[in-house]
Amino acid sequence: MEKNWLIDRRTCLRGLGASLALPLLETMGWAEQPKAAPYKPPVRLGFMYMPHGVIPDQFWPTSPETFLSSPPPCLESLRPVLEQCLLMKGISGIPIAPLSGAPHALELSTWLTATLPDANRRSQINIAISADQIAANYVGAFTALPSLELATMPQTHKENQEGLNEAYYSHCSFRSPTQPVPAETNPRSVFNRLFKDGGASLGGMKAKTAAPPDPLERGMLDLVLGGAKDLRKKLSYNDQHKLDEYLDCVRSLERRIAAIEFRQKEAALEAAGVSVSKRKTSDSPPIEIKIPEGDKRSEYMKVMCDLTVLAFQTDTTRVSTYIGSTPNGVSYPELGFTDQHHSVTHHNNQAEKVDKVMKISEFNLTQFAYMVERMHNLKEGEGTLLDNCIMMWGSGLEDGNKHSRENLPFIIAGRGGGSINTGRFLTGVSGNQGDLLSTLLTCAGIPIDRLVGIATKQLPEIMAGA
Amino acid sequence: MLNTRHSPEMPAPLTQKCRLFAWLALAGASWLMPLQAQTPSEAPALDLAATQAATKKTFQEKIVPFVSTYCTDCHGDKKQKGGMTFRSAIKNPGASAFRKQWKLSAASLKAHDMPPEDASKQPSPEEVKVFTDWVTEMKYLSPKDPGVFVIRRLNKVEYANTLKDLLGVPPEIATDLPEEVFGAGYLNSLSPLLMEQYLAIANGVLKSALAPEDAQPNALEKRLFGPPPAPGTHPREAAREAVHSLTRKAFRRPASEAETEVLLQVFDLAAQNGKSYATSLRLVLKAILVSPQFLFITPSGETQPGSDIVPLDDHQLASRLSYLLWATMPDAELAALADAGTLREPEILSGQAARLLADPRSRALFDGFGAQWLGVGKLASKTFDTAKFPQMTSELRAAMYDEARLFFENITRENRSLVTFVDGDYTFLNETLAPVYGLEREITGPQMRKVTLKDPNRGGILGMPGVLATTSFPNRTSPVNRGVWVLEQVLGEHVPLAPPNVPALEKQDKKKVANLTMRQRTELHRTNAVCANCHKILDPIGFGLENFDAIGRWREQDENGGAIDAAGELPGAKHFATPAELKKILATRTDDLSRNLSEKLLAYALCRQLEGYDEIVVDGITDAVRKDGFRMQTLLTQIVTSYPFTHRRIQEQGGPSNGKKLAN
Repeated sequence: MEKNWLIDRRTCLRGLGASLALPLLETMGWAEQPKAAPYKPPVRLGFMYMPHGVIPDQFWPTSPETFLSSPPPCLESLRPVLEQCLLMKGISGIPIAPLSGAPHALELSTWLTATLPDANRRSQINIAISADQIAANYVGAFTALPSLELATMPQTHKENQEGLNEAYYSHCSFRSPTQPVPAETNPRSVFNRLFKDGGASLGGMKAKTAAPPDPLERGMLDLVLGGAKDLRKKLSYNDQHKLDEYLDCVRSLERRIAAIEFRQKEAALEAAGVSVSKRKTSDSPPIEIKIPEGDKRSEYMKVMCDLTVLAFQTDTTRVSTYIGSTPNGVSYPELGFTDQHHSVTHHNNQAEKVDKVMKISEFNLTQFAYMVERMHNLKEGEGTLLDNCIMMWGSGLEDGNKHSRENLPFIIAGRGGGSINTGRFLTGVSGNQGDLLSTLLTCAGIPIDRLVGIATKQLPEIMAGA
Repeated sequence: MLNTRHSPEMPAPLTQKCRLFAWLALAGASWLMPLQAQTPSEAPALDLAATQAATKKTFQEKIVPFVSTYCTDCHGDKKQKGGMTFRSAIKNPGASAFRKQWKLSAASLKAHDMPPEDASKQPSPEEVKVFTDWVTEMKYLSPKDPGVFVIRRLNKVEYANTLKDLLGVPPEIATDLPEEVFGAGYLNSLSPLLMEQYLAIANGVLKSALAPEDAQPNALEKRLFGPPPAPGTHPREAAREAVHSLTRKAFRRPASEAETEVLLQVFDLAAQNGKSYATSLRLVLKAILVSPQFLFITPSGETQPGSDIVPLDDHQLASRLSYLLWATMPDAELAALADAGTLREPEILSGQAARLLADPRSRALFDGFGAQWLGVGKLASKTFDTAKFPQMTSELRAAMYDEARLFFENITRENRSLVTFVDGDYTFLNETLAPVYGLEREITGPQMRKVTLKDPNRGGILGMPGVLATTSFPNRTSPVNRGVWVLEQVLGEHVPLAPPNVPALEKQDKKKVANLTMRQRTELHRTNAVCANCHKILDPIGFGLENFDAIGRWREQDENGGAIDAAGELPGAKHFATPAELKKILATRTDDLSRNLSEKLLAYALCRQLEGYDEIVVDGITDAVRKDGFRMQTLLTQIVTSYPFTHRRIQEQGGPSNGKKLAN
């Protein structure tokens, strides 16, 4: 039942061929901007997760003044893009009572919801829509994919803490309070989903647009959707609720097919020499996806990061969430030891274990740094791709040793199209993770009718002009 | 399941003392608690009603005053120490959400951890007994309720197998779907990504299983679509026949008129766009493969307005049984019984369960349930220290998995006593696995075969390499993990998680610790009062298995050269000195073994966690299984004929009604 992701990945990477080079496609803003408006790239929002927290002493910079000149060792990999980063100390996590016995079941599931699961209905999923899905609901309509959800490990971990549904352990994206969003773990599937049907180019050749969608497919889906609505009328209340998920997903599928058809039309126009007004030329080199031979996690994670960059660069989606690792006893043999991440975080201040936690944190941050640096090196409009992104890295615990949540580690990279003031380390911020998520959504231009989870306010200090 | 517990030598500092003591109390008390009174599940309704009334009476007269006298000062409206309050539980004591809280309270009381020593009011032993007895009886407060069985989406494996049975495509066609948990933790949800994948797979299936469009139809197409319309017949009428036969299989029930009409409209859509008869039917097949009736197990008829609890219709029952035991759609015999409306008769249902179990497809029960129960599903992806255990190749891992599978299937198919899981004296080996047993000279050849074991330390799941390896760390054994595993997975105890803030051990002198055996190191934290409560109960079991190394090989010395001391004691002054003796003691706990397996299998079969009324059902199943020599098939037939497996609640308790209540 459980598959070895390493084998899976190797097999699939072989399928991808030796190397892919993708010429840059700047097809931003193809649907939502009036033709006369000045070109402004859209803001993309990305999240990347590491479980179990950090070693606080070694994560936080010594002072705001020395943040840029001598960052803490943990952040070394981010040095080239520190000017584009923002650190805030003082963002507290959600208090988890009365579910205090479930620190790890909740660290990931509360991360983007800032909400506790319903303690009276623990065996079912009952939480809240997550920030990434709030964003996808709004900006998702403009792109071929409303959002991208990625993970390194399959979301099959089974562990029952506090009687909570086991999926709380491995999911962070929720489309509705009762609907967790599964993540993709196979880079080949991700690639195919992003580009195979969508008119992107592969290896410098004309889009390998498999077969165009069957022109009757949307009509067929319409009929199936109508039939499902008939069925719904005959079902009991509980069943109806479940069928609503189906209806929602078919509608989303129809939108996706429509978006693909739109893109293909656009590509055809372009091929025929008709210029598409929103298209900009770019002086960035084509981004290249290197397909690794080995089975190292770093290389696997790099491919997932590359795919995220590519998806943003080509405006295939504007929202991505990458569960870099799940809180269920992952080992990092690549770092020269086989201890499980969770075990070493209960280090009890033993130097050897503290050092291992450090190495694991650095490892995860290095992957994040790789991704944002790549974005930083891609030109877009007047600036870089990263300038138009908000990339949040973080964990749902502060210190895994104590399961504390007072100062959650978060790093924001990217200026969010000029909405975020970066290059700073803010101390004494007073807010919670919901406040932060609400603020980031606002910076990404997403109108929210209510704040996220436990949020009580926005955090103006992180915005530009502060 | 094991790896998020702290490992034995690394407790963390203390800050939340109160909560911690509650945990420890639960730990200590639950293991020492005597077996719960067993009561038959389908007790006469009157008895149940009387018991329920008595339980309610006790609650009002004894429990409410008890709680307000001794508990609510700290756990009430004003204060919620340790995040715990009786505010809601006291209003609705039977609600499943508060089951755990009541049990935890009883455990804390029994262990004298609550109320705290310095509290001014202390309950008498008699008062405590009334409280804890009431908690045992609490299940009778739950109304008779089968739980909801909402339309359930086929999981990845079921979906792939169903496509294979339906269209003969290899199950690899579904490889790209996300991996899913089966049974109790199954997430019955759908996402846009999944829907996209279903459509893509449907396209792939059509391409690979059918002849190219407008070419001569292949055998499958002929079988699926029937003959082309005879001259003079209306194509739509011929298509109607094809739709009837396609949907009977793909929907696992007859399609309604309206459902047939929708698919005929799909046919029309293609036909009106100039497609041939055969090509139009392809589009119909594609529509079927993305329809909710294919992707979900849906009921046949309309639900009667006003009903809260209904029996499953025969087609739904056939699917539920077939997907439980085979992870695929019902076969012709099962479908015929559903059509005849006789499947629900208990003898027929039991007979079908036995028939399905005898079929090789019932391997699905191991892959879905057994592998999860024994933890061997994790073997393939688990990290092992390659320097220490270079022999943990994928071949050896696969052999370990197969050993567990064949053992499980043997007990099930030969209808043995489930106690065999602990005391069986045989296993299944091939030449890859034999060296782990030290039997490399006796066993040659790659095929797995049944082997009788002479060493009493081996045999059964406790001496099985796959289990011993998954309960170890990558580089060494973990007596704590193994102890927890045996308690939770074999005996069905509820072991609390290690509390996050355990006070630090005296700083261990590294040099001193280096020469200790794992047992001595683990025992260090039993010198600490806070750790000891828990570990004195769970560690001995793990120590009893220390003769098996981290991949299940026998050893007399641990890696530091210290002699293994496998002696220990279990509650009730039961001493053991070897794994064989430990197994012997555990094998006498037949009711615990059987109750545990009943609970786990029932939860798997129902795809949900067990709740209030289910406890009464499990009582009944355990009773029946005991009376029949703990036979495995008896357990399974008891489960598939049980009330919650054959019935469903169709609306939320207290939720919106699905129509007007019928007047009586």
